[in-house]
Amino acid sequence: MKLSRRLMMSAIGIAMTAAMPTFASAEGLIAILTPSHDNPFFKAEAVGAEARAKELGYETLVLVHDDDPNKQSELFDTAIASGAKAIILDNAGADATVAAVKRAKDAGIPSFLIDREIKESGVAVSQIVSNNYQGAQLGAEEFVKLMGETGKYAELLGREADTNAGIRSSGYHDIIDQYPDMEMVAQQSANWSQTEAYEKMETILQANPEIKGVISGNDTMAMGAWAALEAAGRTDVIVVGFDGSNDVRDSILKGGIKATVLQPAFRQAQLAVEQADQFLKTGSTGLEEKQLMDCVLINGDNAAKLETFALAD
Amino acid sequence: MTRALLALALGLATLSGCKIVKNPEPGSQATDTATATPANDTERMGKMAAEIFSTRLVTYVSEKSIDLATLRGALAGGLETAGAAHGLRPQSEGSPWNFLVKGTGTVVGADTKARAAWLDLDTDGDGTGDARLQLGPVIKGTSLRDAADFLVFTDFRDQIEFAKLARALNDEAHKAITLPDADLTGKTYRFEGATTLRSATEALVLVPTQLAEVP
Repeated sequence: MKLSRRLMMSAIGIAMTAAMPTFASAEGLIAILTPSHDNPFFKAEAVGAEARAKELGYETLVLVHDDDPNKQSELFDTAIASGAKAIILDNAGADATVAAVKRAKDAGIPSFLIDREIKESGVAVSQIVSNNYQGAQLGAEEFVKLMGETGKYAELLGREADTNAGIRSSGYHDIIDQYPDMEMVAQQSANWSQTEAYEKMETILQANPEIKGVISGNDTMAMGAWAALEAAGRTDVIVVGFDGSNDVRDSILKGGIKATVLQPAFRQAQLAVEQADQFLKTGSTGLEEKQLMDCVLINGDNAAKLETFALAD
Repeated sequence: MTRALLALALGLATLSGCKIVKNPEPGSQATDTATATPANDTERMGKMAAEIFSTRLVTYVSEKSIDLATLRGALAGGLETAGAAHGLRPQSEGSPWNFLVKGTGTVVGADTKARAAWLDLDTDGDGTGDARLQLGPVIKGTSLRDAADFLVFTDFRDQIEFAKLARALNDEAHKAITLPDADLTGKTYRFEGATTLRSATEALVLVPTQLAEVP
């Protein structure tokens, strides 16, 4: 089973290498690896990176690892075997990804990370991530304001292996915990998932019907929580998310979810491709490896200007 | 045969005299080589911040800060111009500018009881406050960390460490402030500190590294 799979992978690799000359463009191939496009955030990354790569004259290979480090590892092999010049990556785990990125580096392929960090420097060329701490503090300040600085609330956490889950939660609490009348009655992980958030919200609501607000580590979980609240007739509950998706924008405009925090995901993905291009042409990006991009609060005041993880001027 | 056994026995005896020392976790020795147990992120960054604040940051701000009036003048020409001349910012796109400033002003308003306590100073003599000093214990933002060019994100394991460092530096700034428990209105204070600006027109909110009454 395992052997045949590996054989097939290398067969694909060889086939792709053989096919290279026919579809090779002027600048070569850039592989774009992200989690599943079911989450519009990751889709926006892939679309943004692909568009910029094509503008700069590259072919693209767009792959999804579904947050599975083993699958991600196989995709790295595919990218290496396909003769990719560079890899744009939103990774499947801060610890587990280091080895894969090293393997690509040893094969002469530089990696440019977006959205999520890995726990080592000097392996990837760039790590461009949203300033999650700053963004979470913005979201928490808005949440506290909406709650009138008092009341019981629940927190939905992201996937534990993901640094962004921890950093957002600590940004939230650095603000919220300063208000003695804000009381957290439940804190559960819904693994960034909309369906899991729906189920978790149902359970939380049963145990804590007096709940007044929900702060969520991302927008898909906020959407799941909101759907559960709507189903229970509890649209009075204040929900705040994180990401700045079109789904949450629409909910804000309809008076559902109250706020979210925009990560400039589209621009971030484009920037990674630009830095890859610069690196391939000059041997350096001229920038620090790790870069933080600030987030923006989205609420009823500016939601209408939000489109595909970018805010119009 | 017996000789071999004897050698083996001796070998074992020697071995049993050895103490197995566990390798420390990578990174746990970054700030402290003396302790055997690795501290958690908050503790490590707290320790690092205390050291940076006392041995480096206060002096750094003293050396690099510009007069608040100079900054105000420069901001009249726009944030980008002022930033290029006097500011610091990380290389990442969309980062705000950070400035190190110093000045003297008269207290025109204060809330020293709040968790996020503050002091409003009039530094240009027009009778209204133009600089707000955050006193803490709740100090918002990451101005102190981001205004120091020797604190670079790449040198840290991840955002969690880097955020905890910023928070701990704010805590140090709070600890360094001692104010009398009295009405401060009308008193004059000299300060040095850091501020972050996203636009040329937003209100100046500073995190002080030094604050002293001018008698």
